[in-house]
Amino acid sequence: MVEKMTATYRFDRLEQTLSQLNREDCLIMAGGTDIMVLHKSGRGVPLKLPKPLIFIDHLSELKQVFQNHKDIHIGACCTYSELLEHPLIPVSLKNAIKTIAAPAIRNRGTLGGNICNASPAGDTLPLLYVYNAKLLLRSVTGDRIVEISDFIQGPRRVQRYQNEILAEIILPSVLEEGAYVVFEKVGNRNADAIAKVGFAGYIRINEARIEDVRFAFGAVGPTMVRSIDIERKLVGKTIPLADADIVQVVAGFDKIIRPIDDQRSTATYRKTVALNLLRYFLSMKQYQAN
Amino acid sequence: MSLKDISTSVPKKDHSGKVSGQLPYISDVKVENMVYGVLVRSQVAYGKIISIQLPNLPEGYEAVGAEDIPGPNFVKIIKEDQPIFANEWVNYIGEPILMLVGKDLNILYSLLKEVKVIIEEHQAIYTLDEAIKQKSAAGVIMASYEFGESLETVSAIEQGAHQIIEEEYDTGYQEHVYLEPQGMLAIYKDDEIEVQGSMQCLYYIKNALLSALACGDDEVRVVQSPTGGGFGGKEEFPSMMACHVAVAARAVKKSVMLVFDRSEDMVVTTKRHPAKLNYRTALDKVGNILSLSVEIFLDGGANVGLSSVVLQRALINSAGVYKIPHFHAKGYVLKTNTVPNGAFRGFGAPQSFAGIESHLGHLSKLANIEPLEYKRKYLVKQGDPTITKGIFRDPILVEDMIEDLLKTSEYKKKKQEFQRFNQQNLRYKKGIGTSLFLHGCGFTGSGERDHIKATVKLVKSKDGIVMLKISNSDMGQGILTTLCKIVAKELDLPYEDVLYPYPDTKVVPDSGPTVASRTTMIVGKLLERAAKKLKAQWQSGVDQEVVEHYVHREMIPWDEKTFTGDAYPAYSWGVNFVELEVDTLTGNVKLEKVYGNYEVGKVIDDRIMKGQIDGGLAQGLAYGYLEKMTSKQGKIQQKSISDYGPPTSLDVVPIESKVFDNPYADGPYGAKGAGELTLIGGAPAVQAAIEDALHTTFQQIPITPEVIIESLWMKEGEEG
Amino acid sequence: MIKFTLNGKTEETNAPATTRLLDLLRDDFELIGTKEGCGEGECGACSVFVNNLLQNSCLIPIGSIAGAEIQTIEGILETKKFKILDESYSDAGGVQCGYCIPGMIMASAALLSKNPHPSKAEIREGISGNLCRCTGYNMIVDAINQAAKKGDGIW
Repeated sequence: MVEKMTATYRFDRLEQTLSQLNREDCLIMAGGTDIMVLHKSGRGVPLKLPKPLIFIDHLSELKQVFQNHKDIHIGACCTYSELLEHPLIPVSLKNAIKTIAAPAIRNRGTLGGNICNASPAGDTLPLLYVYNAKLLLRSVTGDRIVEISDFIQGPRRVQRYQNEILAEIILPSVLEEGAYVVFEKVGNRNADAIAKVGFAGYIRINEARIEDVRFAFGAVGPTMVRSIDIERKLVGKTIPLADADIVQVVAGFDKIIRPIDDQRSTATYRKTVALNLLRYFLSMKQYQAN
Repeated sequence: MSLKDISTSVPKKDHSGKVSGQLPYISDVKVENMVYGVLVRSQVAYGKIISIQLPNLPEGYEAVGAEDIPGPNFVKIIKEDQPIFANEWVNYIGEPILMLVGKDLNILYSLLKEVKVIIEEHQAIYTLDEAIKQKSAAGVIMASYEFGESLETVSAIEQGAHQIIEEEYDTGYQEHVYLEPQGMLAIYKDDEIEVQGSMQCLYYIKNALLSALACGDDEVRVVQSPTGGGFGGKEEFPSMMACHVAVAARAVKKSVMLVFDRSEDMVVTTKRHPAKLNYRTALDKVGNILSLSVEIFLDGGANVGLSSVVLQRALINSAGVYKIPHFHAKGYVLKTNTVPNGAFRGFGAPQSFAGIESHLGHLSKLANIEPLEYKRKYLVKQGDPTITKGIFRDPILVEDMIEDLLKTSEYKKKKQEFQRFNQQNLRYKKGIGTSLFLHGCGFTGSGERDHIKATVKLVKSKDGIVMLKISNSDMGQGILTTLCKIVAKELDLPYEDVLYPYPDTKVVPDSGPTVASRTTMIVGKLLERAAKKLKAQWQSGVDQEVVEHYVHREMIPWDEKTFTGDAYPAYSWGVNFVELEVDTLTGNVKLEKVYGNYEVGKVIDDRIMKGQIDGGLAQGLAYGYLEKMTSKQGKIQQKSISDYGPPTSLDVVPIESKVFDNPYADGPYGAKGAGELTLIGGAPAVQAAIEDALHTTFQQIPITPEVIIESLWMKEGEEG
Repeated sequence: MIKFTLNGKTEETNAPATTRLLDLLRDDFELIGTKEGCGEGECGACSVFVNNLLQNSCLIPIGSIAGAEIQTIEGILETKKFKILDESYSDAGGVQCGYCIPGMIMASAALLSKNPHPSKAEIREGISGNLCRCTGYNMIVDAINQAAKKGDGIW
């Protein structure tokens, strides 16, 4: 009985990595904290993988964080711990990162990995959605930029071509003043938990008038739930919002949030809590920019 | 180190090996000529095995099954209903059918996928509710008991009562999550099979092996490995694994290692019995209890195992710490086609205490009396009869323990503060809850006298070193330390001169299993007596040996048929207060403060006792609100630690505890049992605190965020 | 062939690159202090340092450790830091069944190296990926707190 060994690659440079991806369809591993669990084959045994494996977590080209005008560019292979310590990373994103697993996982897991794993419960995703994050994909033929909401298509399904790598996560205009951002992760316990519901809310106000407002919900559907239509209806309204407006927004999301029952929670719970968090966010009397 | 006060803590015997990681647990062991085993398991909840097709096995790989068992095909425990390898019927998903053995785990896992077992599926019973409906069908009731006031009397009282309150209460699974998964190794020798592994009960395993291998007493030997947590999960379950590896070793003439992955461990090993408890209580006009009937159903899973004994303890504790007039109790273990349930710290008592504490809490609301005050009216006192017509012989300090906690916790002030907080805060609500509980120490009824008949031995060497020869397991609770302390103190020896090597049935007598909070009280007392004897005949410079046997103190004799008599020789007691905050948007519960007062006779080691309190409470609290395991169509749904959700360091809060002295004449230095007691009060106190925060009632544990949100939703509906 | 440093020594292995670091350490190097409790990064019993960072060795394929510095509990046993943790865990009664402890010691050392004067809340955060089922954590938190004080200046 001969077991075929999985081919693995680990190049020193991004360039070589991209060339290999151009030649061969590979499973890309950054921190590996999801892949290792997903493809676990039991105690004492090497992983069995469907494709050749290519390691990218060591590539320095993918570990930079820098500012370009008001945008922040985050290297896809920055670990959560690295981001927690980086002065450019917004506090709200740091707060979301702190809810992920525990220190040892945060020392290994990466922001790019969290996105490409495309779990409906991905911890950073609701927040990245309300930031309107853009993703820079790189291949031997060049770069392309996509909206995160276009990139993630379903559970563990992303719109990445075989020869591409997620190189940067771009947070547009996050360094602009004046936005109030909240993030709430609802898990079964206070560490090492997988989200049962995630909620991110973003609001920018000018003299009591809403200039911009965004909401994203995690773990309540195959991908993050966001509705530009509903958000638009709130622009221009004054704070505090009228009850009728709140009811209308909540009713709007009530229609589009379609969670499931699983081993972690129930559909009813997920929906009720998602709407509770939304209602709470909308009912605030004031929003302090953070 | 000489010991002045027995309670003063000493360094633990096994500290260095554990802190350095160099003490080998079973999965750290490798022996010559060792192969691994993996189990082919049933994927069907209930059915008849039609055929088993094996793939071509490479050289050195073999399948071991029922036909390789020299003795009868069952794991010897109480009843003969658990096959070692199922070969006719399968009764639950995960039931072992065959074992594949060979050198390389990688190859074994691949072979495992190629084994085809054809099973003719039959209609299974998946849930306790289904089992209750089909109770009258053959084989569904696996055990039952009934006792207490006659139903005629109860019914007459109910006739004249002001009102009858009926409540139905459900408790869920609890999984042990000992950090070390189950593991067992059979070392093959021509004239002996030596089984080593993670275990609580060496002689349960040895007896199971004698039966399975149909061999002589000197042909099997059981040695305990350092055991990474047990909590009851390594009480009866390891016997089955031991049979698997021993039968396989005998068949393939090699040493066989079987170690579970966490997910396998979570799916196929025993758990705390889910239970349904029905209460029917007659009240007078002002809410006093006139009579109370309890009916308990335990989900036994597919095999009875220890379930009948678990039910006995659940029933004996069904009135809690209360003297209830005209009490009647009835209970059943029902069969379902799910993983067999078994021993878990508390052994039936946690379900009963959660239920009765909940019920009395709810009755107090009807009577419009503060819950703790209401419960105190019914608290048992020294000399009172037990519900099985035994007697609470020893002084009971619960009143003092409550008074102390009322002061320490500033209970009344807190209640007012929380009320104010709750009026002002729309999102978060705070509550405080209490629980009162006891634990019967040692085996139920006459188990020690009739079944265990414990024997201990002390062996002294020429140079004055004394060794404990007993069959009890240290699984983290610290008996390597506490039992040595007892002997050292009695012999006036330095603690370092008393040794307790990991037990080996070749050299230790049967001092009984490490269960039922019996080890310190029963085995410790025997060791104390043995030490006294050795001291009396101590001679320097020679080898000496003393043996002591269990002597039963006659009380009111226990009669299992009528369920009467003294169920336990002694009781340990506890009071818990819990403060917490509920997030009404998410239903999440955040513990804020936890208090515990306990009475365990006399503490043998302060630090070890604190470890039992903190660890037991963490498990008990989590049982009430955090840990959730469910089964769907016979399949356990939570297969990973995070999906199940035992507490992390961020879920537990500091625990303020105190232990009251109340020495017990038949315990060493006055000690009684402590290990299980500490778990019992957690869940009911959490429930009471959540109810206090939300001004509502619950009829189940765990009270998960899902349960809370549903309840708030219903309440909102009612209030419009 | 993968080359790396293990407890200060240069080592190499021909094991497949998808081998878990945990298995390499336990099976090929017989370093039994690194335990397997869950194999999914949820218990911390297999915690090691990779380039001085606390990581779960069950989640690391050895292909990714080429050139890395790996340190296991065995690699710190002779250090003063370990001795202080050892004493503190003993004094505080932080050890029961012991299975989580080597991982817990690694997490403690990692925390104190980064934050020599942690608050109790920071200690809880630091060990939040290390499951312990026996102690309820409080005595472990006390142990780390003691170690921080006793070892003031060495972390």
